[in-house]
Amino acid sequence: MALPDVVVEHLQDSFVARTRPFCFLIDEHAVLLDCWGEGAWCRLEGIEPGTNMLEAAPYLHGMLVNESVQVEFITIATDVIVHLYVVPSGRRHYVILLDAAGEHAFLQQRQQTSNDMRLLHASQQRLIGRQRALIGELVEAKSELDHHRREAERSSSSKSRFIAMMSHEFRTPLASIINYADLALDEETGPGDVRKSLEAIGRSARHLTSLVEALLDDARLDAGQLELAEKAFNLTDLLTDLAAMMAPLAAEKGLSFATRVDADVPVHIVADEVRLRQILINLLGNAIKFTEDGGIELIITYHDSRLVATVADTGPGISAEDQEKVFRAFERGSASAATGAGLGLTITLRLAQLMGGEITLDSSPGQGCTVSLHLPVITSGAGHIGSDEILPAPDADVRATRPASILVCDDDEDMLALVEHYLHRAGYGLITTADGKEAIDKAIAYDPDLVLLDVNIPGVSGIEVACRLRSRGFAKPIVALTASKLSASEQAGFTTCFRKPAAMPALLAEIKRLTHAA
Amino acid sequence: MTLVTSKICIVGDFAVGKTSVVERFVNNHFSDRYLTTVGVKVDTKEIELPRHSVSQKLVIWDVAGSDRFGPVEFAYLRGSAGHIFVADGTRSLSLDAALALRDQIIERYGSQPSVLLLNKRDLANAWEINDARIDSLLDRFDAVFRTSAKTGDDVEEALTRLSELIIERELESS
Repeated sequence: MALPDVVVEHLQDSFVARTRPFCFLIDEHAVLLDCWGEGAWCRLEGIEPGTNMLEAAPYLHGMLVNESVQVEFITIATDVIVHLYVVPSGRRHYVILLDAAGEHAFLQQRQQTSNDMRLLHASQQRLIGRQRALIGELVEAKSELDHHRREAERSSSSKSRFIAMMSHEFRTPLASIINYADLALDEETGPGDVRKSLEAIGRSARHLTSLVEALLDDARLDAGQLELAEKAFNLTDLLTDLAAMMAPLAAEKGLSFATRVDADVPVHIVADEVRLRQILINLLGNAIKFTEDGGIELIITYHDSRLVATVADTGPGISAEDQEKVFRAFERGSASAATGAGLGLTITLRLAQLMGGEITLDSSPGQGCTVSLHLPVITSGAGHIGSDEILPAPDADVRATRPASILVCDDDEDMLALVEHYLHRAGYGLITTADGKEAIDKAIAYDPDLVLLDVNIPGVSGIEVACRLRSRGFAKPIVALTASKLSASEQAGFTTCFRKPAAMPALLAEIKRLTHAA
Repeated sequence: MTLVTSKICIVGDFAVGKTSVVERFVNNHFSDRYLTTVGVKVDTKEIELPRHSVSQKLVIWDVAGSDRFGPVEFAYLRGSAGHIFVADGTRSLSLDAALALRDQIIERYGSQPSVLLLNKRDLANAWEINDARIDSLLDRFDAVFRTSAKTGDDVEEALTRLSELIIERELESS
């Protein structure tokens, strides 16, 4: 049902009053043909038929198409906002402009508030993100500061420990030098004691020298002043020297010492011999120092232009916690009671790194310790080392006069290691076992030149082993090495008997005699 | 010189600086005050393109900020010869909006000359769009500019480039 005329008329009047419609008619070239309404409010006052409306109203560009177009809220000038209607009529177009400024102002205010809120939210999100990043940076900075503080505290503590230790380390040999010098100068001191005093002074002086050398090396490494002197040298000679130096030190503690060299290891290499020697002496010296039972082994391998020198010991081992400490200056493992400046492994590691190599450590408490030096080296000339070439040189009077093999049977690991060391050093080939029955089997199988038997061994006793071997036609010398006193009948199967603790030179001399005679 | 009139539209998310870019280009003026646009603002500017011997009157439709177009906005684009997409270099989401609008326009009107303005170049400390991402945009737009409506950096260059692209396209089609 249509609205009453009076209502329609009212609405029309209201709409017209509010929107101030301005209408014009243009031809197909956008030339004005006619217009209706007041055009001043929309900046179209004074237009006349013939006016090019694309110039007068450039917003018509693109709008003159063959369909009705309605575009709202076009700001065509400051504070002039229109709703645009284009109505095609044949090749002509009616264009109607309605004043939308009031409506626009309301919408603009609402939209502005909404957009401001969105911008504020985005800004807040950015700030929150930045705040999070800053907190992260602060946490990281604090962690770094804590780390530096702990390092500084540790360094300070190490230095304090170093001063206390140095005080002790220097005072002890100095006191020894002073006291022995006084003793040597005392007129009442006899010539024998003077000699002993001088020897003691010499030992203390050498100890002091080594301490000073270690400190100087550490200082030079700190200052970057330690330079390498690389040249070609004979690795066999170096290993032989080391074996000759270390084997007696190990033997003094009842430890075995062995050097094993892979077939591929070259004889001549190019490296800093002095520093390589220093590293290996440090590693071997430490191994001997901390090992009380068992033995030390130096294993040399070569692969892909890298020389690997591994020092394995049967010492107390090092806990994971202490493994980190032992390479730091002036620190030792927590379980260590040994003396020293605590610089040996630090210098060793730094020298290895200076030479382009590295040190690895594999150990756990009670399982011994394996330290390896990995060093890139250049070979110089052909030739490979064999293990036999680097055995420690034995004394002439105990050295085997010909290649001979000895079967040693002892259930005491330490004793076995000690005997093994001396016989090995004297040039004998060895077959070892800790079991009596196995000793019989090996003697029959390998027919050694001599059998050295402990008497109290598990399974079959040494006496029984000797008897059974004799009964099976074994005619080579069988020597007893026992803590027990044997009766005449018990000695029957043996060529000769030694009582523990036997003097090694005497035992070796007898073995040499027996094997030579055989 | 030949006088050519072309309608172009400038589109993008809200508050990226579209109106400021137009204000800088048309009146060489900048205001720090953010005043949101409702509907569309129409401005004109005549520039000369000596290389093409053309004097071009640009009818610039500055469309209210949006990250997605509806029928009302599409009505504004009717008859446009080229588009300026604007993103705020300190709001990477506004670049996503510009890319979405580009896809919508291409789907509706096909490919037309277009340039991308990464605006607010003067806020270098808050810049969120790295060079690698900018490089990746070069195959989606005819040209990419880092502009500042505040300082005027590259604003005129960007609009002139779009004008050239429109003229070159018209010359090709004629």
